[in-house]
Amino acid sequence: MIRTMIVDDEPNAREDLEKKISADQAFDIIGACANAFEAIRDINSKHPDVIFLDINMPKISGIEMLSMLDKDNMPRIVFVTAHGEYAIEAFKKNAIDFLLKPVKTDRLNITLSRLKENHQPQPVITEAFPTELKFVPCYQGNRYYLINVKEIIHAYSSPTTGVHLVTGDSDQEFQTNLPLKVFDDNSQLKRCHRQHMINPDYIKYIEKLDNGLGQISTYGNHTIPVSRNFMDNFPSIA
Amino acid sequence: MQDILFLEHIAPLLQHMLVFLGLAYLFTRTPVFTALVNNSLSLPDKAIIYLVFSGFCILGTTLSEPSIQTDDAIANTRAIGAVLGGLLGGPVVGFLVGITGGIHRVFSMSSINDPINYIDIACAVATTFEGLFAGCVHHYLSRKGKTETLFSPRFVGLIAFVVGLGHITIILLFGVYTGNGVEAWNLEKEIGLPMLIANSAGAALIMYMIKEQKRACDELSSSAAAWRIADKTASIIYGRFNQESSKKIADIIQHETRVGAVAITDRNRLLAFAGLGEDHHRPGSLISSDDTFKVIRENKVLFADGINRTYQCQLRKSCELGSALIIPLRDDANNEVVGTIKLYEPKNKLFRNINRKLGENLAHLLSNRILAGHYELQRELRIQDQYKILVTQINPHFLYNTLTTIGHIVGKQPDRARNLLHYLSDYFRKNLETSNDITMLGDELEHVKSYLAIEKARFEDRLQVQIDIPDHLLTQTVPAFTLQPIVENAIKHGTSELLNTGIINITCVEHNDSFTLTVADNAGLYEKTNRNGIGLKIDERIKIRYGDHYGIDIQCEPEQWTRVNIHLPKSKEQA
Repeated sequence: MIRTMIVDDEPNAREDLEKKISADQAFDIIGACANAFEAIRDINSKHPDVIFLDINMPKISGIEMLSMLDKDNMPRIVFVTAHGEYAIEAFKKNAIDFLLKPVKTDRLNITLSRLKENHQPQPVITEAFPTELKFVPCYQGNRYYLINVKEIIHAYSSPTTGVHLVTGDSDQEFQTNLPLKVFDDNSQLKRCHRQHMINPDYIKYIEKLDNGLGQISTYGNHTIPVSRNFMDNFPSIA
Repeated sequence: MQDILFLEHIAPLLQHMLVFLGLAYLFTRTPVFTALVNNSLSLPDKAIIYLVFSGFCILGTTLSEPSIQTDDAIANTRAIGAVLGGLLGGPVVGFLVGITGGIHRVFSMSSINDPINYIDIACAVATTFEGLFAGCVHHYLSRKGKTETLFSPRFVGLIAFVVGLGHITIILLFGVYTGNGVEAWNLEKEIGLPMLIANSAGAALIMYMIKEQKRACDELSSSAAAWRIADKTASIIYGRFNQESSKKIADIIQHETRVGAVAITDRNRLLAFAGLGEDHHRPGSLISSDDTFKVIRENKVLFADGINRTYQCQLRKSCELGSALIIPLRDDANNEVVGTIKLYEPKNKLFRNINRKLGENLAHLLSNRILAGHYELQRELRIQDQYKILVTQINPHFLYNTLTTIGHIVGKQPDRARNLLHYLSDYFRKNLETSNDITMLGDELEHVKSYLAIEKARFEDRLQVQIDIPDHLLTQTVPAFTLQPIVENAIKHGTSELLNTGIINITCVEHNDSFTLTVADNAGLYEKTNRNGIGLKIDERIKIRYGDHYGIDIQCEPEQWTRVNIHLPKSKEQA
């Protein structure tokens, strides 16, 4: 069974696609999401094989969402869009499959056949779209936010509560469903520890501690550990 | 001796002349004055001229003083009245003024101890001759169409001089005929020259003053009439220069100027005709007169006065109209002649000078009106353009999205899909009904509801809409496509970008003579720097139509809400 997820902000579009895909026994719909925030959360927890992804969604478009996914665990993406202009570039590069809304069963079946033949992730996907992470979907309690990467001072992951972001805006802390790996690949944040990342723009100074570890002090007067493995990322103390 | 006599005579004559000038001036300030200067003289006009100048004659005799050498003959300024009366009133009036002055002369200078003698008779005859001669000059010049010459002071001076010579000749002839040749000769030697000079100069001066007053009077009354016409035609938009507006203007002009008829043409056709000959000068027919084409071609005023240049109606031989003033109507914006305005008088009536001036003023006025009309038209076109932009700016994505949505639900909810198709066709029908860009608020709201029903099917629970508009405001008029694009914007750039439920509130607040429609969303995503322009266009459209007091203002609390307020005037009949 191919574990399949549908991401579309229009309920009726989701239902319609779900119904059509379910007709093929090879596909198992493991989730349907109404926006990128929900999608990232579910993708990171459910690890689908295929995502049918709407492009035009609130706050974060389907294309922007790509930059928020872990390249190494990238599911196969099928864009589903009402807006053909997005398709042109990607079609040229033959990077990705596009379905135009309303999805016709014949056309969908071609896509489904391709997916059945090849389960491999799509490495070429980053060539078709710029993947620099600019905004990070976050939440504080029940509220969703989009945080500009430039405002992030520090990111860390907790084994129990997931990834946290500390921003320059009065030391607010947000949680995000993006793994630190995504920041490694797609943002200016630098890994300083297995569980910590730092925005170089906010480093006040770095000092080497006696135990061979390092410590970064930020302009916000936070101290962030630097582990031996990642010392090389900071040539000034290495 | 002669020199002293000359001075003694000329001095009182000049005094008389000054008295006449003063009287004549006073006279020109009275309403009766216009009677003098009408080129077309009616009987009452002639009567007034007769009375006035007979008065001058009588005054001229009464003021005169007995001769120093002769008992009887006196230097006098009687001739001034006779000459001016004749010149202004024509042969009959001239003759009557002359004979009145003459008879008065005979009886005022004679008494029981001083019976009527040859001088009295000679003077009477001479004065009558003066009036008649001047009248004949009037007649001759009128026939020649040179009535303007009558008002030339030099010419009048010359005529007065010529009739003065005639006067002297008559007296001498009478003297010779009655055997008093020497006496007559002595008399004329004494008073002839002073009288010639004083009367010529006096007549010329008085005419000069009349002429100036006439000019001022013409300008005054023509501008007064022009003002009245301007005032009455002010509300007639002349941008479309069509039969309807032309007819109104022609009627007003004809009524105000009382000319025989007024016509307005464009470059090819008669647009409107008012007055005599309406029966055969039919609006819409092609221009028949070569003169009109000439005016259009040469962009020059043409005056067919009926004397030097005849005007004959090409349509009907029996047409009463005999003279015409044809003035080009210029469109200064494009610097071209767009038509003509024609003033006619019937054959039995002279074209009044005042109407010539007035006609030219009117053409100027209408030319300006055409120019203003151009701007008006452009303004309307701009409104139309704005409107068309709004209509054609229907996002093709909207149609596409809607059909897609219908496609999505048609299997599951076929009835709802059918309803959506109805809403969609309502929506597009409204867009096609582009004939009128003003609609009732209620209709506009129906349009919004059709639109919302479709969007609701797309967003389902993610979109909530509340409409709260008092029923009695639904009959107010609004520019079509005022509300719907703003609601569409609130969804497209507002609530559709929300992760949680989008809420749109459409409300209306009533003021004294205006009302404010408000479209509020809970997205707060409006950015001043990044407005997509449709609000701006609607704002501009409202301002063009209703003025700067009305239009759109937008308030935004980022991430909280956006409120678009549409300020509109109440419909006049309901305000």
